[in-house]
Amino acid sequence: MRRRFGIGFWLAVGWVGVVLLAALLADLLPLYRYDETLAGPPQTGPSWSHPLGTDGLGRDVLSRIVYGARVSLGVGVGAVLLGLLIGAPLGILAGYRRRAADAIIMAVNDVALAFPALVFALAVVAFAGASLRNVLIVLAVLGVPAWVRLIRGATLSFAEREFVLAARVLGTRDRRILWREIVPNVAMPAASYAFIGMAVVVVAEGSLAFLGLSVQAPTPTWGGLINEGRTLMETAPHVVLVPSVVMFLTVLSFNLVGDRLRALTDVRESGLEPVRQVTVSPMPVAEHQVRDTLLQAEDVRTHFATPRGLVKAVDGVSFTLERGRTLAIVGESGSGKSMLIRSILGLLPGSAVRGGKVYLSGDDLTARTPAEMRSVLGPRLGTVFQDPMTALNPVRTIGTQVTEPLRVHRGLGRKEAHAEAVRLLASVGIADPVRMLRRYPHQLSGGMRQRVTIAMALSCGPDVLFADEPTTALDVTIQDQVLRLLHQLREEHHMAVVLVSHDLSVVARWADEVIVMYAGKVVERGPAAEVFRRPRMPYTQALLQAAPRLSDPVHHRLREIPGRPPDLVDLPPGCSFRPRCAYAQDRCGQEAPPLVGVALANGAPVNGSGHQYACWYPRPIETAIAEGAESSGR
Amino acid sequence: MIILHRLVRLVVVLLVVTFLSYALLNLLPGDPVTQILGMSATEESREQLRRELGLDQPLFVRYLDWLGGLLTGDFGESYITRMSVGAELAERLPVTLELLIAAEIVALGLAVPLGVAAARRAGRALDQALTALSFALLSTPVFVLGVLLILIFAVTWNVLPATGWTSLSVDLGWNLTSVILPAITLGCGQLAVYARLLRTDLIATLQEDYIILARARGLSPRRIMWRHALRPSAISLITAIGLNMGALIGGTVIIETLFGLPGIGRLIVDSIFSRDYLTVQGGVVLISVGYVLVNFAVDVVYAAVDPRIRRA
Repeated sequence: MRRRFGIGFWLAVGWVGVVLLAALLADLLPLYRYDETLAGPPQTGPSWSHPLGTDGLGRDVLSRIVYGARVSLGVGVGAVLLGLLIGAPLGILAGYRRRAADAIIMAVNDVALAFPALVFALAVVAFAGASLRNVLIVLAVLGVPAWVRLIRGATLSFAEREFVLAARVLGTRDRRILWREIVPNVAMPAASYAFIGMAVVVVAEGSLAFLGLSVQAPTPTWGGLINEGRTLMETAPHVVLVPSVVMFLTVLSFNLVGDRLRALTDVRESGLEPVRQVTVSPMPVAEHQVRDTLLQAEDVRTHFATPRGLVKAVDGVSFTLERGRTLAIVGESGSGKSMLIRSILGLLPGSAVRGGKVYLSGDDLTARTPAEMRSVLGPRLGTVFQDPMTALNPVRTIGTQVTEPLRVHRGLGRKEAHAEAVRLLASVGIADPVRMLRRYPHQLSGGMRQRVTIAMALSCGPDVLFADEPTTALDVTIQDQVLRLLHQLREEHHMAVVLVSHDLSVVARWADEVIVMYAGKVVERGPAAEVFRRPRMPYTQALLQAAPRLSDPVHHRLREIPGRPPDLVDLPPGCSFRPRCAYAQDRCGQEAPPLVGVALANGAPVNGSGHQYACWYPRPIETAIAEGAESSGR
Repeated sequence: MIILHRLVRLVVVLLVVTFLSYALLNLLPGDPVTQILGMSATEESREQLRRELGLDQPLFVRYLDWLGGLLTGDFGESYITRMSVGAELAERLPVTLELLIAAEIVALGLAVPLGVAAARRAGRALDQALTALSFALLSTPVFVLGVLLILIFAVTWNVLPATGWTSLSVDLGWNLTSVILPAITLGCGQLAVYARLLRTDLIATLQEDYIILARARGLSPRRIMWRHALRPSAISLITAIGLNMGALIGGTVIIETLFGLPGIGRLIVDSIFSRDYLTVQGGVVLISVGYVLVNFAVDVVYAAVDPRIRRA
């Protein structure tokens, strides 16, 4: 527990405890009386007999602060408890029985927010009399709307959960559900808010006291002490500083405790917590030749240091790609295919460690700084992402977004960029490009958006186009159009295309070569038609059988791949696919199979561009599905 | 349609707020007649004054009467000073408005660059320092901060005045020196809220696909931050500006008392002490209207910031 809360939390708890104890035991402590004038010489600083000095009338400051804590904490704890007592039942009621109660709560909320609470408190206390009881009641009542809102929200989120719905369906009585299911779950947010509420009340009471409208003299209050001390600022600043610091520390402590408790229950928070970076030694790059080719990836690795352990998202992938060719990278989600693309582009989150080399026309991209990379991203490497719904900035017009790279990279003026954008949109098959430029992304269909993102990727005439699942989020009817468009654009611009997909049968038709990835590694690769027709690795075969085909008979059962994608932190020894493989034998659990080549059907020699697989017991060619052959030709 | 809906809600909220405050102020113990005539006045003279002031009428009638006057811009006449409440408020309003605007300028002017800087280096030293700072600021009551700033800038260094107000129409320079400490004091609490919100939303936005794609297009981090990420991340910030307006106006009550500024907040405090119901009531109405109008404006700003909201 200690580690989860952090040292600050325990210091805060300690401070609150000390102040609370001092307030409770004030009468037993060896203190001067808080109203004893001339207990020491007036306006003197800290000394042995007066650890925090004396005020203008020679009263002991420490004693006045300790007795002031009785008021501050008394009102704080009392008002919060009272507010909770009134607010919690109302909130639970509103959250559990929605509709009418909900509408009323919202209306009251509107009014409460528009109501100047502090002014109201001032007026009530002034007219009704400034006593501890009145201050406490007013601040408690003013806190009720916030309590109702909080408890209602917490109740709502639980009232919809399965276990409560199930209990309701089973006919469990409401009262029982409330006590056994809802109340325990609402308790934690309520406890966290109680501390934050105390901070709010202590500040509010201080404000009232500062204006002279809390408990009246001679009883000291923190706000009152600060107000009194103001007049002595020039001669004895400690009189105002000491209560200020005490008040600050107390409010800070309440806030801190509340915040930590909230963080415990709030799952969203944890995602935003910065991951502490663990140093990973730089990865050595295997010896290799820089080839005379457009794009060469050599032993690319992407590792993440996570709290659970090292994740090898991409673990040694190599390939080469020529102009006018399409390389498909296939695998389940989590296989590392998207990370491979991001690794090549150098667009990794800060916690990632990259290894290996990437060459563009023999030029080492991995040696470039981020600033140097920017002259390549766009002009030479274009990118299209999976979900066109999230790929465009929702608050900028299509025109602004399409013309931006033209103006940044190609230095076009406003008019030229506009004309070029119109031409680009027309080239990806958008009917009314001039009007399109004025629209916002939410006004477009998914297919249209994907066309726009493709146009943007092409705007600076890249040599390689990376398309990460470009059709996954689209309608089946649109998918084929987009892939056809990519293919046609490849021909027109004489580019190379890297096509990432989880669906082997979709890409096989448009790809020249295929790489199949599993758990960050290449498990099979080769000419697309060959891999598609004669998959050797059981995983590739399973991928093919998991995809529906039009040629399948009606009511044909899709075979899913059993098991789950592997946990990258904790990979099994040997072949990563072994736990899910129907053909696994002892050897698979001991040694990881290397990528080995097969002679092609036409007798072509085994080399880097041939058909390769990583499997100790590859599927014989006969059992591989043959019916895929018809659809693999273009 | 949505505007009409909002307007109806606005009117209802104002009616409820005015009636509640009117009723509460009138039902609370403390009689203006006693306040004016003193304890020794005869029952007859009290009765006469009560009739003169219209206090013999039932509460609801008085409220409607007052509300009717309000619709014609008449806030009534103070029982105590016999001055027009409307004129008094009009005289004080510019001070409070200037204070509020200056505070928002201080808060936003610092919160946006700080939030951006923290989000860009999330988890690093600067970010952690900012998180700690905003937590500390959030935990500093406004009067504590004000006292400390006065202690530092007015008492110790003697570079700014501790109290007092010079009107904008008298001297611009003196006006600015008199508003700067109150504005910083009031703005700091907001600064902490705004910077934290913006930081959190920016960090989330920076993980969006369209930001990664903007990087994939070779755009510079500065351009991505200011032109691509800032606007989609501003919605929570704008909401907070509206919702915190209530707390901010509440803060002016303290600030104006602490720094001796002749604004609405000070007027309300003084009127509370002198049991001047109608002036307090006028101030409450003004604050509520201001709050509701600001939030109405926030809805309009939403649409300007995020085009997706325009169609609703």
